Amino acid sequence: MPPKPSIRKEEWERRLHDVQVTKSDLNRLVMDYLVIEGYKSAAEEFSQEANLSPPVDFESIESRMDIREALQRGDVEDAITRVNDLNPEILDTNPALYFKLQQQKLIEFIRQGRIPEAIQFAQDELAPRGEESPEFLSELERTMALLAFDSAPNAPPAIAELLSPAQRMKTAGDVNAAILESLSQGKEVKLVGLLKLLCWGETLLEEKMDFPKLNVLEGTFGETGKV
Amino acid sequence: MASVRGPPKPIVPQHVVRTTPAAFPRPAYLDHSALRHLLQVEGPEPPIPSRRADASASTTSARNQAYANALSVSSDNDDTRSASSSPVPTPLPRVDQPLKLPTRWSEQDRHTGLSVSSDGRELIFNGPSCSAEKEAASARTIYPIPRACGIFYYEVEILGKDQKAHISIGFASKSGKFVRLPGWDANSWGYYGDDGCALSPERSGFQYGQPFGTGDFIGCGIDFSTYKAFYTKNGILIGPVFDNVGKNGDLFPSVGIQHTGESVRANFGQDPFKYDIDDHVQQQRNVTWNKILSTSLNRSVLHGRYRRTGVGSIASITNDTGVQQSLTEEESKQVLNQLVMTYLVHHGYAKTAHAFGRQYEGRDKDPSKDASNTSGHGPDVEMKASSSTSESVEIDIQSRTNVVNSVLAGDLDSAIGTLQKRYPTVLEADDHMLLFKLRCRKFVELFLETTEMKKRMKAIKERELAKSKAPELPLQDTWMDEEMSMDIDEEPSVPHHRRPSIAPSPMDHTEELNGKELWSPDTISAQYESALNAALAYGQTLTNDHQSDNRLEVQQLFKKTFGIVAFEDPLDPSCPVVDVASHDSRVALAHDVNQAILKSQGRPAQPALETLYRHTATAITQLGLSGVGAAAFADMSKEFLQP
Repeated sequence: MPPKPSIRKEEWERRLHDVQVTKSDLNRLVMDYLVIEGYKSAAEEFSQEANLSPPVDFESIESRMDIREALQRGDVEDAITRVNDLNPEILDTNPALYFKLQQQKLIEFIRQGRIPEAIQFAQDELAPRGEESPEFLSELERTMALLAFDSAPNAPPAIAELLSPAQRMKTAGDVNAAILESLSQGKEVKLVGLLKLLCWGETLLEEKMDFPKLNVLEGTFGETGKV
Repeated sequence: MASVRGPPKPIVPQHVVRTTPAAFPRPAYLDHSALRHLLQVEGPEPPIPSRRADASASTTSARNQAYANALSVSSDNDDTRSASSSPVPTPLPRVDQPLKLPTRWSEQDRHTGLSVSSDGRELIFNGPSCSAEKEAASARTIYPIPRACGIFYYEVEILGKDQKAHISIGFASKSGKFVRLPGWDANSWGYYGDDGCALSPERSGFQYGQPFGTGDFIGCGIDFSTYKAFYTKNGILIGPVFDNVGKNGDLFPSVGIQHTGESVRANFGQDPFKYDIDDHVQQQRNVTWNKILSTSLNRSVLHGRYRRTGVGSIASITNDTGVQQSLTEEESKQVLNQLVMTYLVHHGYAKTAHAFGRQYEGRDKDPSKDASNTSGHGPDVEMKASSSTSESVEIDIQSRTNVVNSVLAGDLDSAIGTLQKRYPTVLEADDHMLLFKLRCRKFVELFLETTEMKKRMKAIKERELAKSKAPELPLQDTWMDEEMSMDIDEEPSVPHHRRPSIAPSPMDHTEELNGKELWSPDTISAQYESALNAALAYGQTLTNDHQSDNRLEVQQLFKKTFGIVAFEDPLDPSCPVVDVASHDSRVALAHDVNQAILKSQGRPAQPALETLYRHTATAITQLGLSGVGAAAFADMSKEFLQP
């Protein structure tokens, strides 16, 4: 079997140079990130400094971030009100998202130890929806299982994780994506896509040949083939 | 019916018309490939069909073959030339080398019983019918299918008389001997009209679709993102079939015919397709892209490390459970924030960087405080951005921006001054190369001032000549008028603050205010001379300081810089030295200065974000050229750059 072909660093760098991308292309990628991740004032400054028109109005960034913050501090009711203020269709047309928010509300009741309220809320609001779909039912069951343990650390990880900040972030992320979609704005940050593409591409290319590997944060290359 | 043939056939001499296929544009479905710019249908003057042309076609294939060898890990390759070649990796071909699409049957690579029509699209079997099951007369196209297509597709119309044609349509590698149906030889695949079976050497025949025959249009595609083939019949998809098609080595479209008088006509995109291949490709493209987006962010890849411990395979990686390989959401956010922050800092977007840093810190502290009363994440994830937005960073951006702006304004003294104060190593680096460049530019600026004065002098002289015929007007006004008009249509590249040095302030010469000598051409000419002397004196100092520097770059810049002295108006776009004098060269120098400062701080010369983009694009292109068809569906400019 012949050895794998390899590309030397000099040749690779020459090719990098030939890639068609401009500063304003990259500026737009950065703007996309600032907008979707909700860095409102940075996005505003950037549109001035880089002379870029923003893809959405800045106020919508702000309300999106208010909703996200409400969810991150556990105030689900506030988040629901704000989403409906922004656009009532978002929750009307997305039952799965609405269920997730209700589930999050139940989780917050349990977190605060407001058990009777939690049970009442589950029976009134969530149980009827659990009858609608098996997925909702299984999620409801998982959430109710939190009540079976006196403290979260004793629960199995699959259940305890409902109380983690990651669960709040996940719900907040889903809501964020739904709002962005309603604004016809991409919901996936393009820079994330770029990183994923890098991971996908390098993994496959490694099997074909040796090439200089990029240290992403440093922006530097190792020598071809050096481990 | 609307014609999709594209540009009109070029006028060609009569004697080659017989074998000149019509030129046609690249089929639209191939526009979904990210490597479309490399995919070429033949030009309007294809080199056929003489011996010379055959030779050129086969050298192309040979080159492609060598190319496949160079890039393919596996060596199961039937070409004897390459099998006997040395195990040293072949040098990689240029990435901009066009990839020829197969658009007609080969005059050479065919069974002798088959004849090819003059446009290269029809195959007619004139030989005696084959009796044995697998015997046939087959042919393939002149070029193999570039896997960079992502998906390749062609259609074949059955022209013979049989309702169930003894014809197999499919693909074959270069090794076929043209006496078998595609699907019987190794590395060949086919769909057989007589009984609707799919033929492949691994599975022999199995039921796949309906039989086909006269009047039917059979479409045939390879999806290099899945290495599966698919067929269509009269515009309707039958479904995916076969595995590992085209994974190892090049394939050609191929047709095999068994009965005398049967014939087919191929459409490689010359005519509209019966099947909506465009939509098919688009869907497959989206499937592939979504798959790519479901990739998890891998720690080792992001750190630029080779993940292989021994033999490189995905299995060996997943078994390596020592470190968690996937980044958490929090960690990937940190990576992104750092990329964005360094980008903003690099380009001097100071206010944005400031706002970004503050917002980032502010936001991500609250949830971690909240988290402390629950299990799970502790406050161990501290944000890096806080330190990188500190005051010193902002001051740094500010002074770097100042230096850059001074260069852009032609104020080299101020630029050099700030550099000496804040970034002395930048001036010293590379044996004072940057300092030398800045000083050369200063000489250019000084000399440009004198040419400016000279122009003005000339204008005044002309004016005076005119005024001498109407001597009532005082000359001061003439000068003032001149000054005003110069200000208005002033070249943006002429620094404003330099203006006072051109003419001494009238206050210095109060005693002469009433005398006409002050504004006389003589005085101005004296000023011009002194400015010129100053410029030349500076130039001589420069020479003295750097004469002993024998570096080619230094000597060349010297020559070019002093060359401008020979020209009356170096800023005139038609002047041969305009590239040394123009504002563009200031921009280039400013760019150099910015890079040099960043480099002196141990930062990369281009922002890591830009390197990330360029590197990924290069890797994906290389992947597509290495035969991974899925890479063709990672269209970076479409996914990331188009608004």
